[in-house]
Amino acid sequence: MSNMLSTASRATKYEVTPFSRTQASNQAQTGKLLLTLPLGKRPPLRIIIDKRNLLANLLLAGLLMVLTGVSLATGSAATLSGPAMLGALLGHGSALDIFVVHELRLPRVVAGLVTGGAFALAGCLMQTVARNRLATPGIVGLDNGATAFAVASVVGTGISLAPPAMALTGAAVAAALTFGLTGSIGVRGYRFLVAGIGVGAVFGAITQLMLTRVSIDAANAAYPWTVGSLNARPAHAVSILSLALLPALLAAIRLTRSLTVMRLSDAVATSLGVSASRCRLMALSVAVILTGLAVAVAGPVGMVALIGPEFARQISTRNTVPVVGATLAGAIVMLAADLLGRVILAPIEVPVGIVTALIGSPLLLWILLNPNARTTP
Amino acid sequence: MASFINRHADSRVMRSLKACRWSGASPSPVVTWGLLMILLAAIALLSLLFGAGDVGPGRAWQALSDFDAAAMHDSEAHFVIGELRLPRLGIGLVVGIALGIAGALLQAVTRNPLAEPGLLGVSAGSAFAVTLAILWGADAATLRISVAQLGALGGCLCVLAAARLQGIGNDPVRLILAGAILSGLLHSLSSLILLFDQYTADEIRFWVVGSLAGRDATDLMPLAPSLALAALLTVILARPLAALALGEHVAIGLGHHPRVVRLLVIVVVALLVGGATAIAGPVTFVGLVVPFAARALAGPDIRRTLWFCLPLGPIVVVSADIVSRLVVPPSELPLGVITALIGAPVLIAVVRRRRLPML
Repeated sequence: MSNMLSTASRATKYEVTPFSRTQASNQAQTGKLLLTLPLGKRPPLRIIIDKRNLLANLLLAGLLMVLTGVSLATGSAATLSGPAMLGALLGHGSALDIFVVHELRLPRVVAGLVTGGAFALAGCLMQTVARNRLATPGIVGLDNGATAFAVASVVGTGISLAPPAMALTGAAVAAALTFGLTGSIGVRGYRFLVAGIGVGAVFGAITQLMLTRVSIDAANAAYPWTVGSLNARPAHAVSILSLALLPALLAAIRLTRSLTVMRLSDAVATSLGVSASRCRLMALSVAVILTGLAVAVAGPVGMVALIGPEFARQISTRNTVPVVGATLAGAIVMLAADLLGRVILAPIEVPVGIVTALIGSPLLLWILLNPNARTTP
Repeated sequence: MASFINRHADSRVMRSLKACRWSGASPSPVVTWGLLMILLAAIALLSLLFGAGDVGPGRAWQALSDFDAAAMHDSEAHFVIGELRLPRLGIGLVVGIALGIAGALLQAVTRNPLAEPGLLGVSAGSAFAVTLAILWGADAATLRISVAQLGALGGCLCVLAAARLQGIGNDPVRLILAGAILSGLLHSLSSLILLFDQYTADEIRFWVVGSLAGRDATDLMPLAPSLALAALLTVILARPLAALALGEHVAIGLGHHPRVVRLLVIVVVALLVGGATAIAGPVTFVGLVVPFAARALAGPDIRRTLWFCLPLGPIVVVSADIVSRLVVPPSELPLGVITALIGAPVLIAVVRRRRLPML
């Protein structure tokens, strides 16, 4: 599905060898679906859909819907049955149920959906551009940079910008530092990752510094940003992120073809007509924006950016970058981690950042230490 | 080298100072070492003079110059210096030496200029072990130290196992990455424990940030045996390590046993890092900065590097401690914050080099 639009635009541009019926049937046998849309006088629009990717994305979307339902239905206040939850969502049923679903759980679930999607999409883009599965925004120091700036705006150090704007600035500063200090990304192996760890350590220290300087009330207000939690998140930050996520996803789909080629090497990409530096810049900008805005909502839950794309790559084909799949999988991981954190130690709520770190770190170690694991996406 | 420095330091210093004045060459290592010791003494004095409280440098100097009389006239300054700043200085010295030496040893044994106990998860291992111990009801200082050292040993063994895996040991940067991930995992496990045990959280909150404040001199006593053992082992191991730096075959040919040496070094590192962590909390980046500077001053020989780590470690830790007291006067900053701010740029500088040196 992700390579659908880009292939369509190519087909209308060149029209070098129109598909014959036999070619089409060959394509169908190898798992491709050919759609032909008649466009009047102009040549018809042909769209190739990879069956497996389509199935994978449909599967992920279905899983996401089920998980959303379960998240809305379970909780410490009242556990609702499926129909009761649906009714409450649509405004029927007892006032308590409607209140619980609409006021308490729906904002939380929406926040989880958009932040999970944003983190995972950013992770997928950055991994592809860096040609390294470990290169997620969290490791490269973006999360810590965004957190430091968001905390600065909350504890009030004379800066009167809203947390989302500050977090965005922080992510951009951290990205500029990491990539500026190590030269270029995707060329010098693992080194920029360690430079990113250094940048992240500096910003983490700055966050600590600000938290120790302020009164206990301000420190408590800023605390959720430091561990990563979906509890009672600011509504305006969620709406800003939702507004940004859709164009970002469209831009990523538009970039899919270039990204697919970018996985090989700069030389191959250039010879196939993709401007490597332009593609890299666009993908990184989208990743930085998404990470900054998502941190402003949920704090540094960086491991979603590793788990989501990994999950999506496992179930889709190897020949494209699973942009849409990664977004869906990230939302799934975020919701599942949040649900787990709410349920597992029931009276206490484990922040989603800790749950994802506990799941993601062993995965990360396995990728790094297993000599047979592919380190390029 | 110790006796040599003690006996002949003065005449050698004068001669080489003269020599470098005439020839314009850089001073010999002995001179540099002496200068570092003088610098350390000056910094130690400064740490007694400056503080976050209202005993300023002038008052502190008066109390110091006539310490017994100050007990009568200015009992506040006497108390602040004798009971607060002096133990703190002592702990800073011990922590600095322990972390600096541990960093140098770990870097030598993994042959990796980036190996740092804090980055590789050794400190995180001992912090996690202490958290577990407090959760299960332990709070005696001696128990905490041995538990921290056991945790550090666990962390060290993980590092060594990772370094021996195919392809990781030859790539300094990947080993650091694995260590950083391990640290993150242990850190989130610790926070999970703190989350559902309020008592543990209160007990450990002041310890987990890494600080020299509020530590008692008596905390040092239970640490003494293990530190003495570590010192003895370091003296014994210095020569085999220097041989090991030439390659495993050369070391075997010279009559050393690389496996035994490696195992003993890991034990020493665990003793040092565990002890330092038990007393000051996890303080990162000291074990990176100190050997880095020591190698720049002393050259690649591990025996000289270790000598230079002796003054450099306390210099870094004590001066970071002074800064942590002076930045926000009424309150104090955690020491770990300052060392991270110093250490991270060094890490980036090392990584930026075109060729990473293998030790």
